[in-house]
Amino acid sequence: MRPELWRRLLPAWPVALLAAAAAVAPWLPGNPYRTDLGAVFTAPSAAHWMGTDGLGRDVASRLAHGARVSLTVGFATAAGAILVGLPLGAVAGYRGGFWDAAVSRVIEAALCFPALLVAVAILIDPPAWLRALPDPLRVAAALAALGWTPAARYLRAEFLRLRGSEAVLSARAAGAGTLRIVALHLLPRSLGPVLVSAAFGASAAALAEAALSFVGGDTPTPTWGAMLLEAMRQSGRAWWLALFPGLALFATVYGLNGLAEGIRDWLDPRPQHR
Amino acid sequence: MSRVGRIARRLGTYGITLAIVTLIVFLLTAAFPGDPLEDEADHRLPPEYRHALRAQLHLDDPVGVRFARWVTDLAHGDLGVSSRERRPVATILRERLPVSIALNGTAVALIILLAAPLGIAGAWKPGSRWDRIARFGTTALYAVPVFWTALLLQGLFAVRLAWLPLFGTSSAVGISAWSRAADLARHLVLPVTCVALGGLAYVSRFVRTALLDATGGDGGRAIRARGATALRYVTHHGLGQAAVPLLTLAGFLIPRVVSGSLLVEEIFNLPGIGTLMFDSVMARDVPVIAALTLVTGIVTLGAVAAADLLAAWADPRVRRAA
Repeated sequence: MRPELWRRLLPAWPVALLAAAAAVAPWLPGNPYRTDLGAVFTAPSAAHWMGTDGLGRDVASRLAHGARVSLTVGFATAAGAILVGLPLGAVAGYRGGFWDAAVSRVIEAALCFPALLVAVAILIDPPAWLRALPDPLRVAAALAALGWTPAARYLRAEFLRLRGSEAVLSARAAGAGTLRIVALHLLPRSLGPVLVSAAFGASAAALAEAALSFVGGDTPTPTWGAMLLEAMRQSGRAWWLALFPGLALFATVYGLNGLAEGIRDWLDPRPQHR
Repeated sequence: MSRVGRIARRLGTYGITLAIVTLIVFLLTAAFPGDPLEDEADHRLPPEYRHALRAQLHLDDPVGVRFARWVTDLAHGDLGVSSRERRPVATILRERLPVSIALNGTAVALIILLAAPLGIAGAWKPGSRWDRIARFGTTALYAVPVFWTALLLQGLFAVRLAWLPLFGTSSAVGISAWSRAADLARHLVLPVTCVALGGLAYVSRFVRTALLDATGGDGGRAIRARGATALRYVTHHGLGQAAVPLLTLAGFLIPRVVSGSLLVEEIFNLPGIGTLMFDSVMARDVPVIAALTLVTGIVTLGAVAAADLLAAWADPRVRRAA
């Protein structure tokens, strides 16, 4: 018996919680930018649930605003990866031959680069069209520049597997055109693995965003990476500075990975993989 | 097709991929809108001097010409001259690579040493308590960002306990070669741990899945029916069959580990290619950025190709066809 899908989605509850916090962050009472030099490094209390940082800013409120950045980058990267990866994977898998070889070589080449290094190189001095985007979307675009490969690979593999199936052959025999076959017969059957890769991609992107803002240094925008950077500078003086953003990041990555694995196990009929 | 022909064909494929890797690196650097002579200070140089400098660095040539020159130089083993340090990029790389190779090489060895038993334990009795503990542990580890681990480890082992140095690569000068090596090793303990922890989850789960795929199905059932114990079944039959996907994974481990080590080098202030990368990006030192990206790309591709050829050699289906 396969457990229900909703049971498999349970691991994602911390992400849902953070997403809710992110959604209502602008209307929460705390202000992530307001400094209070009379209350620096105060431990968690009723007034400041997660304490304050070196400038007296409310950590809880910065955390909620940081969630907006992290989750936007995560989901936008996943969306960008699908946007680029789906057409490429579809062409490679459906057409085969030269197209498959061409796309496969590009995927192979893209896999050879460390994603973080390329993202840093793109972001330090982005082209004008990228500069016009808001911060989180710019970061997402830089991460999706290499992040599209899993989506393309999985879709290609599924298309290759299904291309010769009876469902496709009978559709073609009935006179369906390429576009109709791809959109109505192949895509719906192949989206599962792509969704799984998107969830993994979102978690990797959230982690990469934190890494980028960690090395990127001081920005006024509250991000978890920048909060952890400050925690490092205060090493040991205020445990709440490292604990809460670290936990939030951990919960996001753990939750999104759990979600991905949940979908994968639900789709995978082989019982031993669970 | 003969075995030699098959392998020649694969080599040709990797040649094409290599060309694409090179092109990506160039496009990445060509997309930089700025160049090294755009700072305020550079605009105060006398115009004729500035033009001479621009001509010397070939900054105003068309993209195609610059690409052709770059590739020709690469073919001669010339990686160009750093615009920040005015020294050959190859010399700079030679200074920086040892630290990164020591860091990443030790980390990869540690990952494989730890991940293989973990993956085998998981595939031995899937769903057992050990399997679940290992899975939970590695998933949790995967979700911990490397810079957070670094923070905690530094706080604990370097600040509180003061067992290990906080950062850098040496704490004394003018000591003998042996104690210098021991000193370097002490400095690398925490960074290596940080890099290795990040890759552990990824590899151990991959080992587990590859083993399960290899031992599942009718073949696996037949071996079990013949009376093989569960452990023997995984180690003797599973590992042999899983060798091909595992070898491929070993190749693609490199870019992952390098990504992690970029941060770790920055945090622990190690003079490797990670810190060099950040410094070069800040200074728009395009020749160095291009060389670094290219070197990691080529090293990865080489490892993947080697793994693939080895797998093709080891695969009985390919051997029989020869």
